[in-house]
Amino acid sequence: MNGMLLLPIVLPFLAGAAALLLGRRAGALGGPLAVVATAINLVVAIVLFRQGGEVTFVAPWATLGMEFSLRAYQFSNFIVLAAAGFGLLVSLYCVKFMCDRKHANQFYCYMLISLALVNGAVLANNLIAMLFFWEGLLGALFGIIAIGRPGAWKTATKAFVIVGISDLCMMLGIALTYHLAGTLTISKINLPLGGLGAVAMILMMIGAISKAGSMPFHSWIPDAALDAPLPFMAILPASLEKLLGIYFLARISLDMFQLSAESWISPLMMIIGAVTILLAVMMALVQKDYKRLLSYHAISQVGYMILGIGTCLPIGIVGGLFHMINHAMYKSCLFLTGGSVEKQAGTTDLAKLGGLARKMPITFGCFIVAAASISGVPPFNGFFSKELVYDAALERGILFYVAALLGSFFTAASFLKLGHAAFLDKGRNENAGVTEAPRSMLIPMVVIAALCVVFGVWNGLPLHNFIQPALAGSHFGQLNAHEIGDYSGMHGSRVLLIMTALSLLGALANHLWGAKVSGSGLGAADHIHHAPSLSWAYDRAAQRQFDPYDLVLKLLAVVSNILWRLDRANDWIYDRFTVGLTMTLSRGVRLAHGGNYAMYVLWAILAAAAVLVFLVKS
Amino acid sequence: MHLQASLQWKPREVRQQTMTNEVLLCLTVFIPTLGALTLPILGGLSTKLRNFIAFGLVAAALIGSLSLLPAVLKGQTVTWQSMQLAGLGISLQADALAVFMAIVSSLVSAIIVAYSSSYVSHYTHQNEYYLMVVLFLGAMMGLVFAANLILLYVFWEITAIASWRLIGFFREKSYVAKADKAFLVTAFGALSMLLGFVVIYAQTGSFDLARIKGTALPDLAVVLIMLGILSKSATLPFHTWLPDAGVAPSPVTALLHAAVLVKIGVYVFARLFIVTFTYGADWHTVFMVLAAVSALVSAGAALIDTDLKRIIAYSTVSQIAFIFLGFAAGNEIGVAGALLYILMHGVAKGGLFLCAGIVEQKTHTKDIRQMGGLVKTMPITAVSFLLCSLSVMGVPPFGGFFSKYMVISGAVQSDHLWLAATFVFGAVLTILYLFRAFNQVFLGTPLGQTPREGSPIMVGSVALLAAMSLLSGLIIQPSAQFAYTAVRQMLGVVAK
Repeated sequence: MNGMLLLPIVLPFLAGAAALLLGRRAGALGGPLAVVATAINLVVAIVLFRQGGEVTFVAPWATLGMEFSLRAYQFSNFIVLAAAGFGLLVSLYCVKFMCDRKHANQFYCYMLISLALVNGAVLANNLIAMLFFWEGLLGALFGIIAIGRPGAWKTATKAFVIVGISDLCMMLGIALTYHLAGTLTISKINLPLGGLGAVAMILMMIGAISKAGSMPFHSWIPDAALDAPLPFMAILPASLEKLLGIYFLARISLDMFQLSAESWISPLMMIIGAVTILLAVMMALVQKDYKRLLSYHAISQVGYMILGIGTCLPIGIVGGLFHMINHAMYKSCLFLTGGSVEKQAGTTDLAKLGGLARKMPITFGCFIVAAASISGVPPFNGFFSKELVYDAALERGILFYVAALLGSFFTAASFLKLGHAAFLDKGRNENAGVTEAPRSMLIPMVVIAALCVVFGVWNGLPLHNFIQPALAGSHFGQLNAHEIGDYSGMHGSRVLLIMTALSLLGALANHLWGAKVSGSGLGAADHIHHAPSLSWAYDRAAQRQFDPYDLVLKLLAVVSNILWRLDRANDWIYDRFTVGLTMTLSRGVRLAHGGNYAMYVLWAILAAAAVLVFLVKS
Repeated sequence: MHLQASLQWKPREVRQQTMTNEVLLCLTVFIPTLGALTLPILGGLSTKLRNFIAFGLVAAALIGSLSLLPAVLKGQTVTWQSMQLAGLGISLQADALAVFMAIVSSLVSAIIVAYSSSYVSHYTHQNEYYLMVVLFLGAMMGLVFAANLILLYVFWEITAIASWRLIGFFREKSYVAKADKAFLVTAFGALSMLLGFVVIYAQTGSFDLARIKGTALPDLAVVLIMLGILSKSATLPFHTWLPDAGVAPSPVTALLHAAVLVKIGVYVFARLFIVTFTYGADWHTVFMVLAAVSALVSAGAALIDTDLKRIIAYSTVSQIAFIFLGFAAGNEIGVAGALLYILMHGVAKGGLFLCAGIVEQKTHTKDIRQMGGLVKTMPITAVSFLLCSLSVMGVPPFGGFFSKYMVISGAVQSDHLWLAATFVFGAVLTILYLFRAFNQVFLGTPLGQTPREGSPIMVGSVALLAAMSLLSGLIIQPSAQFAYTAVRQMLGVVAK
C-alpha cells in the first residue's frame, strides 16, 4: 500500500494535465473536473492521515544519493490534509468565479499541478526529490500569474525571479548539507550548527521563508494580488505556499539542524519575523484596494510564524505552527470574500465600494469572522495562536513582544478600515444593483469561517491532533520531552491578555477617531499615513523605491554592464589588437622587401656575414 | 592488443558479438564521414534525395552509437585497429563516455538536419551545406571514438574546417571575416594542443591513449592542451568567436554552439584530464576559477546584448562553464553532472537556437528590441522557447535541473563553496537573461508585424526538442544511470 503515497501527487497532476487539454471548454468543465479531482485527493489525504504511523515509499532515481523517496508521517500527513481541504474549497469557489474567464484551462492546470507539487514537496523524504517538487512550482507560478490581466507577465517574471533566486540558494544549501551529512535522506539528517552547518541552514531557510512570502522576498505578492486571477491568491500565497514554507522551516529547525535558542540563527529568525510583521502591516494600513491590502497581511502574518519558530521555545514553535494553519484559513477566507466583492461589484477599489453589508450579508459575515481571527480577537483561532507566540516572544525579549503586539494593533486598525470602507460606508450608486454571491462561492467561505470558530473555541482539537504530535518527533521532542506541554485552552498570563485587549481597544479607538476626523471609513488611517516622518517613507514606498527586487535588478544591471565591458575588451584584443599587431609587423617586413636591388644585396651580405660569424665561432 | 589476445579464449558467440561491435564502431565513424562526400554528387541528381540521404547518414551514426550501448553498459570497451602503415593507423575505441557523447551529438544533429531541410531550402550552396554538416558530425564521431592523440587532432581540425565553411555560409564579407576569426582562434588552440601532444610523445614515446594512460603530465603540456580545449569550447578568454559566429544559418549555430562543436573541448577535457592523464592538483582550482569567470562575464554580456542569437550564444559560453565546473571538480557527482549537462544543454540550447531561427526567418531581424508579442501568432515556437529556457535555467521538472544541481554539488564536494556560490549567481543571471529575451520577443507589445508560425517541420523540430527537455527530466533514471556507469568507468571505480 506504500504506493498510495503517490496518489496525492499523481492524481492532481493528471487532472491538471487533463484540464489543459479541455481548451475552451474548461470554462464550463474545468471547475467540476477540479472539484472531483480535489475531492478524491481529500479522501486520499484523510485515509493517509487516519492510517497514521509512518509510511515510506522508495524508488531508484537519479543515482548518487538522489532517490525518489516519500515519507508520510504525522506532520506531513497533516499538511497534505490541510492542503487538500483548501484545494477542494477553492476549486468549488472557482466553478462560478472562473466560468467566463479566458485561459480557464490553464488556470485549472496550474492550480492542480501546484497542489500536486506541494503534496510532493511535503511528502518527499529526499532533499532532491523535495527540491524537484518545490522548485517545480516556479513554472506553475509563472503561468498562473501570467494569464491574469494584460501585462501580468511582468509580475509573473518578478515572482519567478524572486522565488527562483531563493530556490537556487536552497539548492546550494542542499548541496552543502549533502556534503556535510553524507546523505540526502531528510529523516537521517541531524547536523550541528557550527560553521558550515549554519551556512547550510541559512541557505535552506532563505528558500523556506521566501516560499512563505516573508520579507525581503515578498514584493511580488502585492503585485500579483492585482494582476493574477483572485483564486490564485487564496490558494497559493495565502494557504498552500504558507503551509509548505513554514512546514519546511519547521523541518529544518526541528529535525535537520540542531537549532537551539543559544544559536545566533534564533535571534536572526526572530528579527526577520518582527521586521516582516511591522513593515508589511504598515504598508497594509494605507492600501486603498481590497486585494492589495489583504496581500500585505499575507506577508505580515508570516512574521508571526517565523518569530514563533525562531524563539526555539516549544510554546513558540507550537504557536507558530498553529498560526500557520490558522492563517491559511482566515486569509484564504478573506481573499475569497474579496473575490465575491470583485465578482459582484466589479471592482476591488475601496474608493468605489461601500454599503455592501446589506447586499452581501453572508460575505460580510464571513469577512467579520475572518477579520476578527486575523486581528486576534477572542474566541477566534488567530487569538490563541498569537497568544502563544506573544508568550514565547516575551520570554526571548521584550522588543520582540512589543513588535508583535504593535503588529496586532495595526492589523486590527487596517481591518476596521477595510470592513468600514467596503461594507459599511455609504454606497455609491453604481453599487445599487449588487447582489449576494452565488451559493458555490459562499459555501467555501462559510466552511472556512466556521472552521475559524471551531479552531478557536475548541482549540484543543487542532493542537492535540495536528500540531503538538508534529513536534514530538523532533529533537525538541526527544531532548526535552517534559517541556512540550499542552497548550490548548486559555494559555498565557493575565498580563498578556490585558495587553492584547488594550491593543485591540486602542485600535478601535484609533479607528473611530480617524473615521470621525476624515469623515469616512476609508480615510480612517490617513492620520497615520500623513504623520510627519511616516509620510516621507510612505511616499517613497509608493514610488517603489524600497522594493528589494528593483534594487537588486538595478545593482545587477550595473554588474552586468561591467561584465559586458570586460567581454568587449576581450573581444577588442582579437578584432583590433591582434589584427593591428599583425598589420604593423607585416608592414615592417614589407619595408624590407621593397623591390630595391641595393636593399636585397645588403640583406645578402648581412646574411653571409652572419653565417661566417657562426662558422668561425663554432 | 590485449583484447585480441583475450579473444582466443572466448566462446564463439562472445567472439562474434565482439566482432559485430567492432564493425558497428567502424560503421558509426565511417558512414557519415565518407558518406558526406557523396552528398554534393547526389545534390546534382535530386535535392530531395540528397536531403534524405543526409538525414539517413546522421541517423545511421545515431543508430550505430545506440547499438554500442548494450556492450558499454556492461562495462566493456570496444576497440578496433586498422592495419598499421609506417607506425600510423586508425585506432578506435568505444567506452561509456564516448558512446554517451556520440549519442547526444548524433541525436541532436539528426533533429537539426531535419530542420535544415526546410530552413536552407531557399538559399544557394546547399550542396556544400549538407556536405559540411554531415562531415562535421562524422568528424565528431571520429573524435569521440579516436583512440590516439593524432587521430583525435585530425578529426578536431576537420570539425574546424567544416565549421569555418558553415559560419561563412552566407558569403557576406563581414560574415566571412567572422568565420575566419572562429577558424583562426580555434586553429591557434588546436596547434597549441598539438604541441602539447608532442610534449607528451617526448615523454612517453606514444600517442596511443591506452598506452599512455596514467602518465603524469608536465605543466607545460597541461597549459598547451588547455589552450586548445578552451578555444574550442569557447571559454574565456577565447570565447568571443562564438557570439560572432551567430551570423551563420540557425541550424548551424545550433549545431556548432549548442549540440556538438563547443562540447568537443569539454569532451576532450574529460577524455584526457579525467580518464587518461594525471596532473597537479592545483590545476583543478585553476580550471574552476577560469570557468567561474567565464560563466559570469558571458552571463553579464547576455544581459546587455540585443541580438537574439548572440544572447543565446553568450548563454552557451556561460553554460559550458558549468560543464567545466563539474569535470574540474573531478568527483563522481560533479563528473556525472557534467555528462548530464552535455545532454540536457545540447537538447535545450539546440531548441533555443532553432526557435531563434524561426523567429529570425519570419521577422527578418535578430534585434530583440524590434520584436514583441510574437506569442499570439507563433504560439508553438513561443512555448518551445520557454520550455527550453526553463531547462537551461535548471528548473524542475526539466532535465537541466538535475545536471545543474549535480555540478554545483560536485563543486561543494570538492570544498569549493565560494566557487559553487559564484555559479549559483551565474544561474541567477541565466534566469534573468533568458526571461529578458523571452519577454522581449514573445510577450510585450506587438510591434506591427504579425509573422506567421514557421513551417511544420521546423516547428515540429523545436517542439520535439522542448518535449525532450521536459521528458529527460521527468524520466531522469535512464540517462542518470548511464552517466553514472560512465563515471564509474572513467574514474576507475570498477575494474574494467
